Amino acid sequence: MRIEAFRRACVAVMSVSLISLGMQAPAAASVVGTSEAIAAARGDNPRAVVDAALARADVQAKLAEMGVDQAAILGRLAALSDEEVSTLAGQIEQAPAGGDALAVIGVVFLVLLILELVGVIDIFKKS
Amino acid sequence: MIRTCLASAVFATALAGCSMSPPLADGLPATAPRSIELSSTPYFPQEQFQCGPAALATLLVASGVDVTPETLAPEVFIPERKGSLELELIGAARRHGRLPYVLATTADEMVAELEAGRPVLVLQNLGAPWMPIWHYAVLIGYDVERNRAILRSGGKEREEMRWQRFAGTWHRGGRFALTTLRPDVVPAIAEPARFIEAAAGLESAGQRKAAATAYDAAIARWPEEPHAWLGRGNAAYADGERATAADAYLHAIMLAPDDPAPRNNLSELLLDAGCLDESRRQVERAAALAEGTPLESAVADSRAKIEATAATVARCELAGRDWPD
Repeated sequence: MRIEAFRRACVAVMSVSLISLGMQAPAAASVVGTSEAIAAARGDNPRAVVDAALARADVQAKLAEMGVDQAAILGRLAALSDEEVSTLAGQIEQAPAGGDALAVIGVVFLVLLILELVGVIDIFKKS
Repeated sequence: MIRTCLASAVFATALAGCSMSPPLADGLPATAPRSIELSSTPYFPQEQFQCGPAALATLLVASGVDVTPETLAPEVFIPERKGSLELELIGAARRHGRLPYVLATTADEMVAELEAGRPVLVLQNLGAPWMPIWHYAVLIGYDVERNRAILRSGGKEREEMRWQRFAGTWHRGGRFALTTLRPDVVPAIAEPARFIEAAAGLESAGQRKAAATAYDAAIARWPEEPHAWLGRGNAAYADGERATAADAYLHAIMLAPDDPAPRNNLSELLLDAGCLDESRRQVERAAALAEGTPLESAVADSRAKIEATAATVARCELAGRDWPD
């Protein structure tokens, strides 16, 4: 609960700073980026600048909460478009995170073994 | 009891899902080689949970970038998720100047990439749909006669998997397949819109040189694609090459006269170049085109800025006096 409140506070602070940052650089801001133009031509409703900034702040806070080094987060997010960051914001907790970790625990070992033997899954064969 | 029922129901579904994957020989294009193995692909044994950095390093090194899984880990790993997300692998590839291109969800593009000598990063679900174990591996080849997929995977430098089993794990992983291209290279089977969008990703990431190279490659291959020209213009403009940018925007306008984006950007460029009247003319046209589209507010911003500049230039504080000749 407290973490959630902290996250919201971070989001608020970050979005205010991001929005004001955006206002200081009008020259670059009014060129339509190619990603934005492609999304618009596709008929997607690209989120307003404020929404994109919010999504960035949201993902930033979530990554920090999930143990990613603060110093690395900005660089990681800078490599993604607004649309991608918005996608990430919606699924950062659920999207497949490749890492070999068992995502859900509590299933009978025997079932696993049967599945493995039948060739449906491939858990026990790894080095 | 309920759990047993559930388990057998899922078991049946899982089996059905698995049996849908045909043997390799059935899905392979007639012209494809009977077997490929990119044996010079580097191998990085994976640390615990670090299959993302290891698989991405394999691809990047194969495409000529000097990285290791250790240097990539801080760019993609999420400790609490004990893994890495697809989008973050894509972002990291951009940061290293490579163009991440997500392949189609059928196997033919993977095979075509292998034929072109490029390994393919895949997301596998080694568990079941209801109990996923996500794993990134690198497909480096296949063998039709023996019906095998050949992988660099986790702790195994060379893993052979029966093709159906590989296809099943890939299917359960959402059929995510990624190649990381040098930006001057267009994939073996390429869709213009997907490639140009991938190039636009480099632009969004601030990789201007790489983006410009990728747009050039796109223009060489598909000279009729307006977004490739728009992108080329944006990359040139960002680099201060106004003449090149203007030419590219003009091309984009010619190919897509109803798109407000190149008009808008051209008006910005003209304003920067001191051509106020032309800039105003272009932004008026852009505003008319953008009405009711998602770009309406972006164009309105440009227009307001240009009008503000025009007002400053037009205002003479000491008007109405006579000045000497």
